[in-house]
Amino acid sequence: MSEKNLNTEAQAAAPAKTLKLGKKHRGIESLKSTYGRMFVLHWEIGLLLFFIVPLIKSLYFVFCEISFAGGAFQYTYIGMENIDYVINENANFTKYLQTTVGSMFGSVVVIVILSLILALLLNQKFRGRLFFRALYFLPVIIASGVVIEHLFSTTSGELSSSGVSDSFAANMLSVDDVLNWLSLPTEIGVFFSTMLNNIFNLVWNCGIQIVLFISGMQSIPDSLYEVSKVEGATKWEEFWFITLPMLSRTLILVIVFTMVEFITAKDNAVMSLAYTFMGSTINYGTASAMLWIYFAIVGVIMAAVIGIYSLLFLRRWDTGGRS
Amino acid sequence: MGNVIQKARDLFYKFKNASSETRYKMVRKSSSVLFSLMRYVILIAIGYIVLYPLFYMISSAIRTRESFFDPSVIWVTSEVTIENFKLAAHIMDYGKSFLNTLIYEMVAAMIQIFSCSLVAYGLARFEFKEKKILTFFMFLLILVPSQMMMLPIVTTYTKLDFLGILGLINDMTGVDLRVNILNSVWTYYLPALFGVGIRAGIIIYIYLQFFKGLPKELEEASWIDGAGPLKTYFRIALPSSGVVIMTVTVFSIIWHWNDYYLASLYLYAGSWPLAVKLSEITSASELGTLRISFGPDNPESIAIVMAGCLLFIIPVLIMYMILQKNFVKSIDRVGITG
Repeated sequence: MSEKNLNTEAQAAAPAKTLKLGKKHRGIESLKSTYGRMFVLHWEIGLLLFFIVPLIKSLYFVFCEISFAGGAFQYTYIGMENIDYVINENANFTKYLQTTVGSMFGSVVVIVILSLILALLLNQKFRGRLFFRALYFLPVIIASGVVIEHLFSTTSGELSSSGVSDSFAANMLSVDDVLNWLSLPTEIGVFFSTMLNNIFNLVWNCGIQIVLFISGMQSIPDSLYEVSKVEGATKWEEFWFITLPMLSRTLILVIVFTMVEFITAKDNAVMSLAYTFMGSTINYGTASAMLWIYFAIVGVIMAAVIGIYSLLFLRRWDTGGRS
Repeated sequence: MGNVIQKARDLFYKFKNASSETRYKMVRKSSSVLFSLMRYVILIAIGYIVLYPLFYMISSAIRTRESFFDPSVIWVTSEVTIENFKLAAHIMDYGKSFLNTLIYEMVAAMIQIFSCSLVAYGLARFEFKEKKILTFFMFLLILVPSQMMMLPIVTTYTKLDFLGILGLINDMTGVDLRVNILNSVWTYYLPALFGVGIRAGIIIYIYLQFFKGLPKELEEASWIDGAGPLKTYFRIALPSSGVVIMTVTVFSIIWHWNDYYLASLYLYAGSWPLAVKLSEITSASELGTLRISFGPDNPESIAIVMAGCLLFIIPVLIMYMILQKNFVKSIDRVGITG
């Protein structure tokens, strides 16, 4: 969209130059960019003060050994030792990194599709819509804070998400009993119970995505659907040719958000490893090294996903949806 | 019974004798009925998974001590008690903590909603050189969790400085102008004001995606009519982004409401918000006097924790219910065509 606009602006500016009005045109452009800078000025200051400077400091910690003595932190420069330890000596880190990144892709795909389906259902007009929307909003409140931790610790006695879903699933349907009753082989039983556990975790991670999708759907103009109804499009065609293209921006937002949620979740393998290291001051440098390596790798993956997505879909759908 | 069979037979003959057009209509109608039935089945089935913990919380929060040991009680007891709620509210110091949450977290949430929308508008609508690098920093802001910068942030707050200028003044003249803002509202307000507060990155990104998708025509018209950038922003862009503002408001409030990590880092025990109080409920000192030990084996403690959790989520739930109505109302955006 923006490139297309730029082109038209450039075309408009070209004849103006021949009319010797070029200077004035450039003036408007630079004025507009000044306005743009005005809008983000406070953010630039904030970024510098509360983000970039602390971030650089934490990068410095990667090359430090930190100790707490005499009421103040002491930083001693030790070079690449922390990084060397994390990559070569710590047996768990690389293994955890692989499993975390691998399972990230799987769960992101499933969560995005599941929440899209639920949002589509919740966005239609039907009896009890408000009730169901409030219902599906519950995970947003409960899952992202203290409450879920208390739920974990009181229900299973251990702070692990698999533990809690096991016990929830067992309480809910007691799959094993049903399977015994049906006398099915145990492999199928195992498959079903892992499915059920995963469904629990996945549904609980869908809350915010559903809200994002619904608000995205609500900003699609009704006129598009009216036109498609006049043209005799089926619901299926409406979804593929109107809803999905118009949701292209929401979709990448949801994908990025889901990835970040998964990556920064405290209970994923790499993060919990880093946090155990962060617990003691002496290992803070090692923990910083772990997190920096982790986020560097994940950042590259995310940039690749966003790049590929906008190359494949955003450009095409943007012009397609709007023309 | 015979009546039903008669009706079904009638329907069948009606279908058989109908013209192709009415047949098509009948099939379509019955399929839409099937579809809405399916919808309810899916929503209720998944809704059950969502509701289960809430049932669990309520069921254990309203139980009396005796009923936990009564094997005949599964979900609901005959004797309902609110004693657990009273105890939980007492332990969490509910009134004061609630006020703290409002003062520290909710005000910051409101500030953030506004400051982030400014940033996103600037990034979405204007072209300038630094935009690419700023977008890069936005993604960094989304990606990097606050835990990673825990130590540097706290040291920044104990001696608030701007690029070391105040420190330099201190070195040269001996006058220390650097203030300690820990345990004050500014630990929340300042980052929120500058658009780098709790999850500011993702909030900016939500706004950004929305503003980019918003048709430019109205704003261009207002530019032509001689309105400045601020006027265009307040009169045109903000009024037509009701949906996204509502979404962001809900998220910002909830993320601030649930924040206990930063609060326990920035604030001292006296000014803790509800979330920290709830997370500390199992180790609160009041319990020693009540002789309750916390653990999964002690059902009385579970009842109190669950009552605390309910007290914690109820205000947010009410907030959502109120905003929800506006959510639906703000669907019909005025004056925008695709």
